[in-house]
Amino acid sequence: MAAIAPDAIKRQSFRLVMWLFTLLTIVPFALLLLTSLKSKQDLFRGAFALPAYPHFENYVSAWVDGHFGTYFWNSIIVVVPVVTCSIVLGLLTGFAFAFLSFPFKRSIFVILTIGMMVPTEAFIIPLYYEMRYLGLLNSYAAMILPQIAMSLPFATLFMAATMQQLPKDVMEAALLDGASRGLILRRVIVPLLKPAISSLGLFLFIWTWNEFLIPLILVNDDAFRTMPLGMLFFQGRYTVNTPVLTAGAVLVIAPIIVVYLIFQRKFIEGLTAGASK
Amino acid sequence: MGHLKLQAVTKTFGNVEVIRATDLTIEEGEFVVFVGPSGCGKSTMLRMIAGLEEISSGTIAIDGRVVNDIAPVERGIAMVFQSYALYPHMTVFENIAFPLRVAKLAKGEVDQRVRRAAELLKLSDRLEYKPGELSGGQRQRVAIGRAIVREPSVFLFDEPLSNLDAALRSEMRVELSRLHASLGNTMIYVTHDQIEAMTMATKIVVLRAGRVEQVGSPLELFHKPANRFVAGFIGNPTMNFIAAEGISSSAEGATVRLSTGLELKLPVNGSIESGEALELGIRPDDLVLGGADAQIEMTPEVVERLGNQSVVHGITKTDQPLCAVIGGDRPISPGRPTRLGFDVAKAHLFRNDGTALERRVDLQSLVAD
Repeated sequence: MAAIAPDAIKRQSFRLVMWLFTLLTIVPFALLLLTSLKSKQDLFRGAFALPAYPHFENYVSAWVDGHFGTYFWNSIIVVVPVVTCSIVLGLLTGFAFAFLSFPFKRSIFVILTIGMMVPTEAFIIPLYYEMRYLGLLNSYAAMILPQIAMSLPFATLFMAATMQQLPKDVMEAALLDGASRGLILRRVIVPLLKPAISSLGLFLFIWTWNEFLIPLILVNDDAFRTMPLGMLFFQGRYTVNTPVLTAGAVLVIAPIIVVYLIFQRKFIEGLTAGASK
Repeated sequence: MGHLKLQAVTKTFGNVEVIRATDLTIEEGEFVVFVGPSGCGKSTMLRMIAGLEEISSGTIAIDGRVVNDIAPVERGIAMVFQSYALYPHMTVFENIAFPLRVAKLAKGEVDQRVRRAAELLKLSDRLEYKPGELSGGQRQRVAIGRAIVREPSVFLFDEPLSNLDAALRSEMRVELSRLHASLGNTMIYVTHDQIEAMTMATKIVVLRAGRVEQVGSPLELFHKPANRFVAGFIGNPTMNFIAAEGISSSAEGATVRLSTGLELKLPVNGSIESGEALELGIRPDDLVLGGADAQIEMTPEVVERLGNQSVVHGITKTDQPLCAVIGGDRPISPGRPTRLGFDVAKAHLFRNDGTALERRVDLQSLVAD
């Protein structure tokens, strides 16, 4: 019998490990999806048992009775301005850190980095009082404004780092062509940074969509609740109806997956930008 | 338009002086090439002229106007980068039109200028392509087109051909020389390739470690190098240097004794001391097989046969490395001692500090019809 080459063993072991990780990631999601399409009776037949037919009424029940329709639109109303404003501001501040000289640049950069490290729990109480003072509690602004502020340090660092990787010659060529800073940013940098902007947009979308603490503390009116918060209250009401509960969970996760699939190519380009010529 | 004057220009990065006090005048319509080894400061010099790098002291004047504190775009210059520096998301048309649109020129004027440049650079059928869809040579032409449309008084080229393959490089050399002839603008060109410098320049500036070693026409630098560095840098293969000792000098020239024992009288200006340590320089293509004024015996080690000529690398009896370029049809093989000769009028003589004793060559006669 011919000896198996050590390279082949290595390759197969690597594949096996990769498959294990893939299954570990996919199985819980698949199970969630499967449960969301079952009836209560199907559920008692076992976690992996297939339903006689898909019970889409679980989704209708979650959307209508569980108010996920309202939560979904609330999430959209919060996420869109947070992501848009953070990207626009991140582009401007990133440009400043990447290309301009100004007083205390290094110190401000350090403060921004610290801003990224402070957990929401550390400032949620002062933030609550601040919002109450401004009369913004129970409003979209209470969720939008703090989250823009929270996203800005990362957006700035991300944009500055990406801009520094752009070919210096192209910037200098634009400068020699007479372009102003604003024009260089708009006509040269932004088009070149599309993959990076997509990646940043995706990160910010996921973080903002999943944000839990800020809406929990700053909003207590059901009309303003976002998806993750809605899920919490929904869980309290529907603990016994697991299929409807999982349908709600799928509704919370689905937009993130859809957005990821749309931006997938640009996102991967963004992750690997600068890796090769 | 296109007169440039550098006066006592220096550049320091921290404590490092990368450009030492430099005075240089470039006349209107000249094709000046800055040449030198990597790190000699030639690109820094170009960037200072462009305004992309601040100067530490001195003045730069373009057409009589000091431009030290003037923004790059207002200096009347255009630059072509080594990496082309095209905007990858724009078409060829948009790339060339970019500086004109920034200057807010009328649409018709933009269109006319871009099409004229495209025609000159043979890019008319590529105007709707993106840079990624073009070859290296075409991309470089787009970069040149973007410079041309601005109608600058001085063109700056920063090693524009170094990313191209050998065949395309030689083609582009000819195209750039043609372009210079047809536009007549002042062009300043940076390269480390001495073939580009010799073939394109009307004036060459040789730099070493931030200092201008010599300024002159290509033939002047080749036949009358100011020092050993310039003599070694200009010419390919590089000049052979043979240790020598001064004997005497007279009106006819200097008499020296080579390390091989050979005594020669060289027609150079300047006097030498008896016993002075010198170096004789002879270009590989000035060595011939067989008889001539002076003879050296060499044992070939490597023979590179190029067809029309053979480049022979070997050593003399005194272990002095020597290179000769001989006719491709001449019989020569490694290991068999060969006698090489040269005309003493073609030899160069250098002092111990590297400065050259001026050769008696009439440069006018070299370029005369």
